[in-house]
Amino acid sequence: MKNGTLFFLGLFTSLTVSFAVVLLANHQLGALTPYFDDGEGKAFPDRMPGVAARGQLVYRDLGCASCHTQQVRRPGFGADQTRGWGERQSVARDYIFQPFPQLGTMRIGPDLTNSAGRKPSALDAEDLMNLLYTGQGAMPAHAFLFDQVKVTGEVPAKALKLTGSAAPADGYAVVPSEQAQTLVAYLLSLNTVYDYPESRPVVQAAAHAEGAHK
Amino acid sequence: MSHDTQEVSSNDAHARGPLLFLLGSGLVWLVISGVLALIASVQLHTPGFLASCAWFTYGHMQALQETAFVYGWLANAGLALGLWVLTRLGGEALRAGNWVTVGALFWNLGVTLALVGIMAGDATGHSLLQLPRYVQPLLLIAYGAIAVAGVLAWSGRRNETSYASQWYVFAALFLFPWLFSVAQVALFVMPMRGVMQAVTAGWFAQGVFTLWLAPLALAAAYYVVPKVTGRVLPAYQSASLAFWVLIVVGAWTGGRHLIGGPVPAWIPSLAIVSCSLLVFHYFVVWMNLKGALGQGGAVMKLTSFGLLAYVIGGCADALTSIRGFAVITQFTYFTQAQQQLALYGGVSMLFFGALYFAVPRLTGKAWASAALIGGHATTAIFGVLMLVISLGVAGWTQGQALLKPAVTFPEIAAATRPWLLLASAAYTVLLLGNLMLVVNFLQTLAAKSTVPTATLFQATSDIKETA
Repeated sequence: MKNGTLFFLGLFTSLTVSFAVVLLANHQLGALTPYFDDGEGKAFPDRMPGVAARGQLVYRDLGCASCHTQQVRRPGFGADQTRGWGERQSVARDYIFQPFPQLGTMRIGPDLTNSAGRKPSALDAEDLMNLLYTGQGAMPAHAFLFDQVKVTGEVPAKALKLTGSAAPADGYAVVPSEQAQTLVAYLLSLNTVYDYPESRPVVQAAAHAEGAHK
Repeated sequence: MSHDTQEVSSNDAHARGPLLFLLGSGLVWLVISGVLALIASVQLHTPGFLASCAWFTYGHMQALQETAFVYGWLANAGLALGLWVLTRLGGEALRAGNWVTVGALFWNLGVTLALVGIMAGDATGHSLLQLPRYVQPLLLIAYGAIAVAGVLAWSGRRNETSYASQWYVFAALFLFPWLFSVAQVALFVMPMRGVMQAVTAGWFAQGVFTLWLAPLALAAAYYVVPKVTGRVLPAYQSASLAFWVLIVVGAWTGGRHLIGGPVPAWIPSLAIVSCSLLVFHYFVVWMNLKGALGQGGAVMKLTSFGLLAYVIGGCADALTSIRGFAVITQFTYFTQAQQQLALYGGVSMLFFGALYFAVPRLTGKAWASAALIGGHATTAIFGVLMLVISLGVAGWTQGQALLKPAVTFPEIAAATRPWLLLASAAYTVLLLGNLMLVVNFLQTLAAKSTVPTATLFQATSDIKETA
C-alpha cells in the first residue's frame, strides 16, 4: 500500500458502499405510506395520540427498551405468538408514525408491541399503574413516577388502589405523576391488531416452510 | 530489526505529554465504567437496587457503562496507542501534539457531559450510540483535532512502504468520523423514518466495532507482537487481504440484530453472509499473530488472550447470526456476553497488552510495580472469562426458557439469577484489577527516573520471568 491516495480512496469507497446499502433499505422503507382499508373506511396504522407520543418520550428517557422489545417475530421463529405478544409479525409499516421506534434489544421482560391489543390478557390502566408502582419479578418498582400526597377530604380520583405492604400510610394516597400517566397512555396505545397485506402472506409462507421442513 | 537501539527513541519524548494524557483519562473512564457496570449488573439480579431514583434506572446504568467504556476508555486508549504506533513506525516525532491535548480535553469534556445527559434521560436508545445528540458535534470536532496528529504522522512517514499497523490506525482515524457524522445526520438531524432508525443504528454500531475499535486494537497487536517476539509475522503477505475484508465487509454486518425483525429479510440475510465472510479476516489475523501465544510476560499474555477472544468472538458472531442460533440467543444476555467478549476480551485486552509495552517507552521509566502488573493481568483474564461464561450461560438459559411459552418471566429471572450473581462477581474482579492498573500507572508517572536508559527495560524482562 505505497499509494496513499489510492489507499484513502479505498477506505472512503468501502464505507460509502456500505452506507449505500442503508440508503437502499431507506429507498424501500423510508417512504412507506399508511394502508387504506376500503372495508373499514380508514387508514392504518393510527397516529399516536399526543399524550401517547409524550409517553413514548418517557419510555425512551427511562430506558425501558433495555429490557422490553417492541418487535414480534414471525410465527415459527421463537415463541412470540404462543406467548400471546401478537398474532402476526411486526412489519415496518407498524412504526411509520413513531418518531422514536423502540425496537429494543433485550427481553428481560415481555415484548410490548401489542401490549394493549393482547387477548385476553391485556392489562388495563389500573393494572399498569400498580405494576409500575410495585414492580414484579425482575422489574423494579418505579415509585419515583408517583407522588405520596396527604389526603384532605376526598381521596383523589387518580389514587392507586393499593393493598398490603404497598399501601401508603393512613391519611396518604399514591397518585401517578404526569410522567406515569403519559407512560401508561402510551402503553395503552400500543396495538398491532390490524393485519396488513405484507404481514399476512409472509406469515403463511413461513408457516408453510416450517411445516415442509418437519 | 534490532530493537535494542530502537527501544529508547527521542520521538517518544515529544509524544509523552499528549499521549499519556489520553491514556490517563482513558484509565479514569475505565474505572468509572467498571463501577457503573457493576451497578447495572447488580440491578439485574436485585431489581430494587437504587430503584428509587429516576437517574439510576437499569436502562440508564446500562447506557452509562457502555458509553463510559467505549467513548471513555476504549476511545482514549485506542487513540493514544494508535498515534504512538503511527509515530513510531513513521520514524518522525509526533507533530501537532498540542492539537491532541486540546482535542483530548474536549473529548473528555464531551464524554462527561454525555454521562450527565444520559442520567438525566437524554440517551438516544441506540446501542453504542447512547450519547445525547447535543454532545455529538462536540465529540466529532474533538476527535478531528486528535486525528490531525495521526494524519500528519501518516503523511510524513519516512518510509513509503507501510505496515499493517499503520493501515489499521489510519483506517480507524478516518472511518470513525465518517461513520459518526453520517449517523448523526441520518438519526438526529434529518431522522429517517420508523425502522430505518434501527437499520442505521445497527450499521453504525457494527461500524464502531469493525471499522474503529477493532482496527485500533489490531494496530496495537500487529506492532507489539513482532516487537516482543523478535520474529517476522507468519503469512504476513495475507495481512492486507485480511485488512480489506474487514474494511469492506465490516459495516455490512449491521443487520444481524434484526433477524426476524420488522425489516425486509434481505437486510439480516446480507448481515449473515457478511458475518461469514469476516471469518476469513479472523483466520488471517490468527495466522499472523498466533506467535504471541505461549510467550512469557504480561504484554504477551494479555495480547494472546485478546487475540483469542477477538477471533473466537468473531466466529461466535458468525455462528449466532445463523437463524437457528439467533432464535435462541437473540434478545438475551447471550448477546451481552458476545459484546463483552468482543469489546472487553478482544479490544480492551489488546489495549492492555500494548499499554504495558508502551508506557515504559513513553515515560522513560520502568513500571513501578511488577506485582501489580501480574495482579492486573491475572484478574483481567480471569474476570473476562468469568463474565463471558456467566452471561453466556445466563443468556442460553434465558433463550431456551423464552422459547417455552409456559415459563413465566419471574421464573426466567429466578433461573438466570445465579449466573447473574456470578457476572456481578466478575465485574467486581475486573474493577479490582483495573484499580491495580491505575495505581501502577500513577506510581510510574510519579516515580523519579533514576534508572539509566540502558538498563531501563530490564524490569520488563524481569516481569516476563515472574508474571
